[in-house]
Amino acid sequence: MLVRRSRAAAAGDPKEAGAGSMGRRRRPVDPAAGARAGALPEAIAALSQSLPSGPSPEIFRRAKFDRPEATPALWQLLFRVLAPLPLDNRLVSLAREVQARLVKSALRSQGYPRLALAQLPEDGSQGSRELLLALSWLLARGPVLEQMLAQTRVPLGDEMTVCQCEALASPGPPAPQVRAEDPVDVRHVQWLMGKLRFRWRQLVSSQQEQCTLLSKIHLYTSGCHGDHSLGHLSVAEAEMLRDPEGGQQLLRTLECENRRLEAVLAWRRTELVFWRWMDTVLDTCVLGVPAAASQGTFLPQIPECRGGVLELVAWELRALQEELQEAAEHRRAAWEAKAGGCGRGPEWSAVWRASREAVEKELGALRRCWEQDRDPAQPHGPHRLVRREDGAAGDRDLRAAEVIRTLRSQEACLEAVLHQLQGQCRQELARLAGALPGLIWIPPPGR
Amino acid sequence: MLPGDCSRRLVAELQGALDACAERQLQLEQSLRVCRRLLQAWEPTETRASEPPPGPETNEEDPSPACAPSPQDLKELEFLTQALEKAVRVRRGITMAGETDKAPSLKSRSTVAPPGAIAIAPPQTPGRAGGHASDTRPTKGSCQTTVPPKGHSERQLLSLGDKTRVRTGARAPRPGPGLRDQQMTPSAAPKAPKAFTLKEKGHLLRLPAAFRKVASQNASLWAQLSSMQTSDSTDATAAKTQFLQNMQTASGGPQPRLSAQEVEAETGRLWKACTLLRLRMREELSAAPMDWMQEYRCLLMLEGLQAMVGQCLHRLQELRAAVAEQPPRPCPMGRPPRASPSCEGGADPAWSPQLLVYSSTQELQTLAALRLRVAMLDQQIHLEKATPGHPSLQEPLTHWKPSSHCNCTLHGFPQQGGLYPALFHWLTWFIPHVYWICAPGGQGRCPPPPWPGPDDPPIPGPTQGTVASWSREVAGIALWEP
Repeated sequence: MLVRRSRAAAAGDPKEAGAGSMGRRRRPVDPAAGARAGALPEAIAALSQSLPSGPSPEIFRRAKFDRPEATPALWQLLFRVLAPLPLDNRLVSLAREVQARLVKSALRSQGYPRLALAQLPEDGSQGSRELLLALSWLLARGPVLEQMLAQTRVPLGDEMTVCQCEALASPGPPAPQVRAEDPVDVRHVQWLMGKLRFRWRQLVSSQQEQCTLLSKIHLYTSGCHGDHSLGHLSVAEAEMLRDPEGGQQLLRTLECENRRLEAVLAWRRTELVFWRWMDTVLDTCVLGVPAAASQGTFLPQIPECRGGVLELVAWELRALQEELQEAAEHRRAAWEAKAGGCGRGPEWSAVWRASREAVEKELGALRRCWEQDRDPAQPHGPHRLVRREDGAAGDRDLRAAEVIRTLRSQEACLEAVLHQLQGQCRQELARLAGALPGLIWIPPPGR
Repeated sequence: MLPGDCSRRLVAELQGALDACAERQLQLEQSLRVCRRLLQAWEPTETRASEPPPGPETNEEDPSPACAPSPQDLKELEFLTQALEKAVRVRRGITMAGETDKAPSLKSRSTVAPPGAIAIAPPQTPGRAGGHASDTRPTKGSCQTTVPPKGHSERQLLSLGDKTRVRTGARAPRPGPGLRDQQMTPSAAPKAPKAFTLKEKGHLLRLPAAFRKVASQNASLWAQLSSMQTSDSTDATAAKTQFLQNMQTASGGPQPRLSAQEVEAETGRLWKACTLLRLRMREELSAAPMDWMQEYRCLLMLEGLQAMVGQCLHRLQELRAAVAEQPPRPCPMGRPPRASPSCEGGADPAWSPQLLVYSSTQELQTLAALRLRVAMLDQQIHLEKATPGHPSLQEPLTHWKPSSHCNCTLHGFPQQGGLYPALFHWLTWFIPHVYWICAPGGQGRCPPPPWPGPDDPPIPGPTQGTVASWSREVAGIALWEP
């Protein structure tokens, strides 16, 4: 009922009604806030609409006053935001306490500063204000809403991801291990490797078939699309025409997404007032902060070999450093021998300086590649496939030929790395074989 | 047989890789099904009609119903059929009236309606999507999706039927016995409309206006979102930063250390750095300098790369120290959820996809094949590094104790304490084209011998002989190439 009143008030006379209804519940911060107070219900409404299965705006208000009835909805919301996609039934059907625990651990791993959250009871009986603060913290740190939308986006076109970002950024070990006691039989490993090879072959042939079919569909439907930059229908669109039932479904999902998009845009326009409001929420909390408690004593300790990844990277870097050192020293010696005498005059120093600057620029660009979490030269994310006879593409579009070139160079590099690794293995084997008398090993013929 | 956590880790990695492959395969197959269905003859339907029930053969495939429909359903079906007949009559006019008159009589003869049903010859279409076929062969796939032949079909048909009444009224669910009679009528009909295939009439398709509107709205909203992201209002950003700072100070906790997620992100970045640096190094080393300028530049580049690697290592040390302080963090959700997926972020996040233009099937296939190949190589390298014995794991083999319970024998080799033969088998899997030695007596190529179990007697062969006598055997032995 409060919602309706304030919304009606906002519709009618934002300044007074808003200030009036909010002013009673807030400490007087500054007079200008009253003018913007009418926008707060809008902002909160936009926020709740843009969140998946978002709580009603009332929950937010109640949470400010730490009302217990707002707690379960907020736990659930935090879980939805933090849980890794895809959100399958297994995750959704977890008990409330388990979800709460997962939320706590996820927040901790992201570095959430407030200790009070970790001490909240997991049954959802209290702590809505803390949860509200946690949600705001997440929203402030990154474009959470946009990311969630992007992850559940309805793909209208046929998409292909070109980059290997996921693979590149995570050398770490996979999810928790199997039983730790059974000794590993090498035959089992060999069998697994054979199986893997087979599956890859299967994958490749299926992929080739799919490409053929896609290409045909694109070809046959060329000229159909209203949007001339696309030119032909995608599989999803053709499927919609073939199967109007499914098409209605698609349409409904799209409309839903549009509504959420509009809500996010509205949120972006009005979020300033929300942050001011959250500052006041934080103020009301400040008095009740507990003493710094020790962390992690009550959460189950699941051992994880996080250190292993760092070691791997360390080893890689050291190996690379050795290689570079050797190469650089070699080249330096060669250079000094060649250019030792000449090239010292003033006209040369400008040349050398120019070279140095150029190299530094390139190195800087290289550094930015990994520091920025993104390689601007390389395309990211999924791309919509479009068939054009002439292969013409706009500025921001990718051309298949270029992508093929990039991929080929990547392939060459990776093959070289693989051969190097195998060579190391071979060397190790030779060393072993040499160490053991009576063992004769026939090395593979030189290729 | 194989020692260590690393071998278990390798098994876990292999399982993970297998699962990932299986998942990809599943997705591909789903997509393939859809594509194949699209390329075959489409169901006899207008662009707005609902999908048809299955045709003749499919009906024969499931001859008897899994469960007989209730009398209630039959009655409803009858009403529905009559209503649809009426609609059809109106649409088709007099020439087809004879056919439809037959329909109620056929209907009355039915006793038990099988789960499947067929379509009658549909009326002429306004020519939107081309012709129809009355006895088209709907694919098995669509049969399964639209009318599952297990018992829910009646209800589904009823609901479909309702919709068809609203839209076109083009069909009537039919019982089985009427089927065969039905088959004759379409051929008797003077003009049997052709099946709609994408190949012939695909270019005539048009997307419905409602969809076009919503889709363009969608595209423009996403574009607005992207542009709003790049030109983020400074007020809001300032307010957010302020709030975060207030949170930090108000929490009363210790100084912010590196969170687990940040460590992971940083490690990922360093990993990426390593790869990029290595790539660059290879480029520099493989490029043949033409003149002194280039040579100098190459030299400077290598030295610069070396310096950068040094910096990365330094950063790594810092990370290591930070990790060592904190106790291991539990993360029961598998991977810690990332606040920002690695693909987004950076200067210009385009939330909706960009275009990738290709010009021929060949090109698309090459592209896809290369993409898979790169992913596969990546995985192979990853697995290679996870094998026990790989120098990166810092577990020198000499530290391993041979396990006593491994008795497998390598042909031609004196029986050893278990470790080395096992290792030999092990390592050679990662080196292609290693030759095996067959048992004596093998002619030509022979497959590898079956693995002897731990309790089998050792296979007779030159297991006891000296190296010299054994090598004589070797000379006459066929080689097998895996």
